[in-house]
Amino acid sequence: MKRRNPRGSSLVNLIIGIWSKYSLQSTILLIFCAVWLVFYAISPASFARPFTYIAIMSVAPFTIIPALSLTYVIITGEIDLSFPSVMAFGAWVLTVTWHAFGPTILGPILALLAGLLAGLINGLLITKCRIPSFIATIGTLFFWRGFVLIATEGFSIPLGMFRGTPVYEALVGRISGVPAQLFWMVLIAVVLWLFLNLHKFGAHVYYTGDNRLAAQMLGIDTDKVLTIVFMIHGMISAFAGILVTLEMGSFWPALGEIYMLESIAAVIVGGTPITGGTGTIFGTFIGGLILKWIETGILAVGVTGFWIKLVYGLVIIVALVAQVMIRRRELRRHRIFGA
Amino acid sequence: MAEASEYLVYTKNLVKRFGDVVALKGINFKVNYNEVVGLVGDNGAGKSTLAKILAGIYVPDEGEIYIKGQRFRRLTPQKARELGIELVHQERTLAEDHPIWRNIFMGREITGPLGFLRIREMRMASEKLLNEIGLRAISADTPVKFLSGGYKQGVQIVRAVQFEADLVILDEPTIQLSISEVHRVLNYVRELKKRGRSCVFITHNIYHVYPVADRFTILDRGRIVAEFRKADLSIEDLSHILVSVARTGRIPEKYEKINLLYTE
Ligand SMILES: Nc1ncnc2c1ncn2[C@@H]1O[C@H](COP(=O)(O)OP(=O)(O)OP(=O)(O)O)[C@@H](O)[C@H]1O
Ligand SMILES: [Mg+2]
Repeated sequence: MKRRNPRGSSLVNLIIGIWSKYSLQSTILLIFCAVWLVFYAISPASFARPFTYIAIMSVAPFTIIPALSLTYVIITGEIDLSFPSVMAFGAWVLTVTWHAFGPTILGPILALLAGLLAGLINGLLITKCRIPSFIATIGTLFFWRGFVLIATEGFSIPLGMFRGTPVYEALVGRISGVPAQLFWMVLIAVVLWLFLNLHKFGAHVYYTGDNRLAAQMLGIDTDKVLTIVFMIHGMISAFAGILVTLEMGSFWPALGEIYMLESIAAVIVGGTPITGGTGTIFGTFIGGLILKWIETGILAVGVTGFWIKLVYGLVIIVALVAQVMIRRRELRRHRIFGA
Repeated sequence: MAEASEYLVYTKNLVKRFGDVVALKGINFKVNYNEVVGLVGDNGAGKSTLAKILAGIYVPDEGEIYIKGQRFRRLTPQKARELGIELVHQERTLAEDHPIWRNIFMGREITGPLGFLRIREMRMASEKLLNEIGLRAISADTPVKFLSGGYKQGVQIVRAVQFEADLVILDEPTIQLSISEVHRVLNYVRELKKRGRSCVFITHNIYHVYPVADRFTILDRGRIVAEFRKADLSIEDLSHILVSVARTGRIPEKYEKINLLYTE
């Protein structure tokens, strides 16, 4: 006998429906809200001020932008460890271009091309030479860092004199107080989301990670997919690099190093398994925000910054355990067809 | 000997090596229009290798492939599909984390302008196909990992039928299936035949293939040792022949006169 739901519960059903369909993303969002509430409770003064959010938003894009394209890489079942150096390489290309030709659009264009090139090299090493991405990108990680160090002889290069020029302001200026990089981050997230979910290419990215052999047997050129994914990631990392260097007003050869583990952590906290096959741009976006919120929150609370790493560690572990539990429960609940 | 152009598929002297292993040693394989061929043989005989060459996944080292009279040295997966050849692999070729509808259209997505997916169209087509093959009550949105082995096989078969292929190659389609699921697969083969299409049914299990096949091709260690019309032999005969081939590599003397390779 079928039981009928009482009237008026359709909204509740809708919420339950969405929750069970997107339980992973919902959980990530919930963790984010929890983190926010905790810090709000501890330090209402700073978390009630818009300034705090602007401060977060001026730096969060530097972690989140490379994490967004890294999500594509990790979904294919690969990894890219070279992107912090590619950030520096792209930023260096912009810096020398501007010093030679002035602060025009040419700088960002050449920087993006540099990123594409770095991504192409990664892609070819992985698909043509069959070097595992973990190893290949350790190689290019050192190579591009070394390249930048040699080119600059280890010195920083100022960029502050270009502040106020149109291209500079379009990249990291303030639009009625809001940092421009925030808009770039949202734009990149939307475009990457669109292609991953609604485009044929995104579907092939997923299949390359989920069952590469099957994808090949069904005629998908997974080598081409991988190469393009690494190129996109190279280009977007270079873009993040130029945002960092312009925000700081100078180029320095160690640029990007701190984003390595943070960006990877954002992807992982966001629910993309390191084995690939699934994962979402939304998750990475929220995952990155969680990490940035924690960082800002801890500093606002007034304890020493050493706590940041510890709390990061805790949150990563909690997020991973939650994800494993959700996947297990899903499988238990749904294995019903056939038998 | 008949002309290659009279056949839907005709291979001439196909050879395939994997390092030192010679998986196929000169295969002349034929499939007529509107015919169900049972391709039988022991483990490692080369059945899957032959299927994969016809589907464009492996490149033969020697030999030629004729499809509807058109001659090829090699095919690609895309080319094979264009020519109307669909392979349901012995291996699972599913993206387990993704919904049924995405799996059905994997590698052949319906797209609109700029390559964006026509999701609603694919989803509706998938629901219809699932219905047709008797997998009612499953939403096309269900991730494949939640399905049982039989249903997963069903999804792979649905993927092969949807494009109205001229030849569907089923590589061990009944392995791991329950009795009712085997029944469903066999009915599906009959349906193909009724619609004027052809099918190559690869299996170890002659009890599954005998009822639906028109002709049997027996493969042993990379060679075709015999071909029989179903009308010429009973299931017991077929069973004897296979046992003998497995043991000695040859068919018993008394069946030689119905072996199509010799009477042709
Ligand atoms: N990709 C490959 N690399 C190396 N050797 C292979 C490969 N594929 C098949 N072989 C070898 O070729 C021979 C034929 O294999 P194949 O898979 O075609 O046999 P089969 O008749 O399909 O057997 P089964 O009934 O077990 O599926 C075997 O000896 C196998 O080990
Ligand atoms: Mg096989």
